[in-house]
Amino acid sequence: MKSVRSLAAGAALAAIAAGWSGAALAQETVTVWFTKGFYKGEDDALLAVVDKFQKATGVKVDLSLYSTEDCVTKSVGAVQAGTPPDVGFCTTYDFRTTGQWAFEGKLEDVTDVIEPLKGDILPDALVTTYLMNDKTKKKSYYAFPVQQQMMHITYWKDMLEEAGFKESDIPKSWNGYWDFWCDKVQGGLRAKGKRIYAVGHPLGVAASDTFYSFLTFANAHDAKVVDESGKIVLDDPKNKAAMVAAVKDYASISSRGCTPPSSVNWLDPDNNVAFHNRTIAMTHNATISIASKHLDDMNNQALTPEQREQAKKNYLDNIRTTQFPDKPDGKPLPNLAAVKTAVVFADGKNKKRGKEFMAFMMKDENLRPFVEGSLGRWLPTTKSGLASPFWTDGKDPHRALVYKQFSSGTIPFQFVYNYKFTAVNAENVWAKAVNRVLVDKVAPEQAVDEMIVRIKQIAG
Amino acid sequence: MTAATMAAPAPPASATTSGQARDRAFWGVVMLAPYILVFAVMVVYPVAYGLWIGLNWQSYRALFTDPIFFRTVVNTVIFLFVAVNLKFLIALFLSGFFVAQRAWVRIVLVLFILPWAVPSIPTILSFRVMLNPETGMVNSQLFQWFGIMEGPGWLTDPTLAFICSIFVHIWKSLPFWTLILVTGRLAIAQDLYEAASVDGANKWQQFRFITWPSLATLYVTSTLLSMIWTLGDFNSVYLLTGGGPGDLNHVLATLGIRYMRNNNLDLGIASIIVAMPLILPMVWFMVKRLSKGAE
Amino acid sequence: MKRVLDEGKLILIAIPVLIWTLLPIYHLFVLSISNQESMLAGKLWPDKPTLQNFQIVFNQQHYYLNNFWLQLFNSFLIAIATGLITLFVATCAAFAISRLRAPGGRTIMNFALATYLIPAAFLAIPMYKAMGTFGLLNTRTALILAMVALASPYAIWVLKQASDKLPRELDEAAIMDGATSLQLFRLVYLPLMKPSMVVIGIYALLLAWNEYLYAFLLLSSEQALPLAVGLGLFLSADDAPWNLLMTAGLIYAIPPAVIYYGFRNNMVSGLTSGAVKS
Repeated sequence: MKSVRSLAAGAALAAIAAGWSGAALAQETVTVWFTKGFYKGEDDALLAVVDKFQKATGVKVDLSLYSTEDCVTKSVGAVQAGTPPDVGFCTTYDFRTTGQWAFEGKLEDVTDVIEPLKGDILPDALVTTYLMNDKTKKKSYYAFPVQQQMMHITYWKDMLEEAGFKESDIPKSWNGYWDFWCDKVQGGLRAKGKRIYAVGHPLGVAASDTFYSFLTFANAHDAKVVDESGKIVLDDPKNKAAMVAAVKDYASISSRGCTPPSSVNWLDPDNNVAFHNRTIAMTHNATISIASKHLDDMNNQALTPEQREQAKKNYLDNIRTTQFPDKPDGKPLPNLAAVKTAVVFADGKNKKRGKEFMAFMMKDENLRPFVEGSLGRWLPTTKSGLASPFWTDGKDPHRALVYKQFSSGTIPFQFVYNYKFTAVNAENVWAKAVNRVLVDKVAPEQAVDEMIVRIKQIAG
Repeated sequence: MTAATMAAPAPPASATTSGQARDRAFWGVVMLAPYILVFAVMVVYPVAYGLWIGLNWQSYRALFTDPIFFRTVVNTVIFLFVAVNLKFLIALFLSGFFVAQRAWVRIVLVLFILPWAVPSIPTILSFRVMLNPETGMVNSQLFQWFGIMEGPGWLTDPTLAFICSIFVHIWKSLPFWTLILVTGRLAIAQDLYEAASVDGANKWQQFRFITWPSLATLYVTSTLLSMIWTLGDFNSVYLLTGGGPGDLNHVLATLGIRYMRNNNLDLGIASIIVAMPLILPMVWFMVKRLSKGAE
Repeated sequence: MKRVLDEGKLILIAIPVLIWTLLPIYHLFVLSISNQESMLAGKLWPDKPTLQNFQIVFNQQHYYLNNFWLQLFNSFLIAIATGLITLFVATCAAFAISRLRAPGGRTIMNFALATYLIPAAFLAIPMYKAMGTFGLLNTRTALILAMVALASPYAIWVLKQASDKLPRELDEAAIMDGATSLQLFRLVYLPLMKPSMVVIGIYALLLAWNEYLYAFLLLSSEQALPLAVGLGLFLSADDAPWNLLMTAGLIYAIPPAVIYYGFRNNMVSGLTSGAVKS
């Protein structure tokens, strides 16, 4: 009996070995982890790519889809345990881990794949993937720019009208803009006895929305935190003063009572929630996901015809997407863009195939349906992707605006220059400073001093 | 503490043959083996591994420079002190209510233990939704009845949010400890009370001289046990407020998870090790107490 | 007259106690029969109570409910496996310690007690780390093993105490008749221990069913999660489906409540022999 079993085991081993050597006995696999899409279209596009890849190469793709938060948590655990997949793509890698992994030598250099694509990738997206490796002491390409996001403002046109204003009444200047929403729109709605807040202004420390929004405010005030070599320059008096102004500005919307009290606890989806509930009239959000939900709903067969009709009206007419007002100095505000990065892990069992998979995925005919499957939630990182009629045909009011918004240019996050800023963001030093001002009533200057101390402790 | 004590049995009479003795020794080891395996793999190894990671001196420096850490320690102490004492005072009081000989009181008791009988996730999330400042039932009702536009920031005001998580903790664990004290009270002989009331003792005197002396040991043991578990209460804080607003309301049980979520596992381990001087003496004391009771 | 006065006092206590106890449970129930509008308006009672939420949950018609049945199944699987394995491990260990007086039994008992007393939240991260090295992360096995490790110490303790109460003479008589240890276990010990074993099995089962933290740490894919964590994921939904969350939560809360009330008398007596984790 025993000998039979060992014989069988031996045969199995031989079969696996044969599979490795290329014979089609046991199938070669490549392990791929992705974030589960928000919409079915994204997952369908990905599955189509996987299918094509399997047919083209005969390699089986072992694909797992995880929800946004779990995707990164699980990847971190697997990397620490030395058992990562071959390919990983989670939409918060860029915020949390890509830079650190590159620095620690956990990622495979993918320059050979990026090189031929370079001409097509938007330069600002490319820079996010050019990262420092402390082991080789050299910068190189350690990630693939799959898609990106920018800050937008979304508002209910019908609520604006209910408050007694037209869209053309919205000022373009920085202060005028926020005063308009805070005082006039909220005032108008409150006068009608409605328990409504004008602005959805994320303040929760656990939300990436909060640091995204805050850093947008900081950029508006020209508060520079690091230079391109990764050195902290925030204690430069000019930058510090600008940061104080940004903290004051960001806090004022809450202290004036223009954002719901719950915004101090908001997680990422909660400004969306408040917007859909019509608790708020407008919010800033780092994707157009708020509008896209209504696009998704208007085609969702599980809803009743009336609900679909309402969603269609919301998407096409009631909800508007715009860009931020001009900076306080009157210049246009560049878009803070976050590039979503896919990586090949150095410890992956079959990283060679992993690289091949990503090279395949990055082809325009494969990448474009995946990015567009998100209904505009994610933006392309390539020139050819951006040239797609999906963005340029002007038929969709929200995407047309996004396309136009690209023209103000994009700038990267600080962590591109100094990976330790992922930790600064994770701890949300920014929201803490704002909360110090709001809750503990300390002066913004003091809050910024504390912020600088803490940033230096973490990233110095 | 409540186990009936048994005279320690004399070793089996010499009737056992040496073969039987060997058999007993063999099976004793074999039958202990599954637990020893579980214990070694799931407790000893992780703890040793954790301690090894915890040897990194850097983590403690980082931990002590984190402003949230100090705040968390203070929170934990306040949480422990207020939650445990309040809970036991209420439990002591309510145990007096539940020993009343009424059929309807028994029905109230059945309902009263619901918080303990149902899992904490749905109920704590129910609190969370109910206390939402804008759409929650409580503030919506305040607006509807009294026109209060900005009701209390139950979960958004740091102090109030902290108080709420203490109350949620008490809500969840009160029934259990009340039941324990009810059983303690039921064990007291009724004729003591009858004799006392014949002697003209009032309710307070009855409590002071009969109830309390009989309950004191149980009360103290339970308080200690409850302290240890309150220290480990993750759900009441994490599911209600996530430690917010502004990470101001963490306790030691949630802090480790916060660090882990921020990719800082080493700090998470360090924060746990730092809590050990608080926990281990209590655990040691309780182990002695419980194992003595059990022999 | 005094009796009426007493009754009045008791009622004065009972009313706040009941409101306090039932408020969140009432809220949970009301939301489960509310539509989105009534819920967001914070109504005390929905304008039009509806069972539609249950229909949506049962048919998995929401993004966060895509795996509802699977997650419910996972919860059952994990709870039942934990219950059975714990029962096996603890019954054997208690027998070895209490009846066979296995060498080192006392020490092991004390270690087990210490494990029981240290709050589980503090063992979670080391255990997570260890599971990573075992390569078990994101498997239901990991959670079952962890729950067995957490449930067995108390189980052993309670079973050992129950076993200590069984008369020694039984063993002695059996041994005189030449019974082996295994026969003693099967013919004397197991039949007499049945009532305690039921309580302990249920204890372990409920502990695993109710667990959130460990499940949330050790498992990540939506297909492997038990319902408890599946419910927590609702907080990342962007359309506030809290009525659906409460509906699924209600369904999730029913089995333990039924078991609990079904075995109430056993549970209370089990409870007095020590403290069940609250």
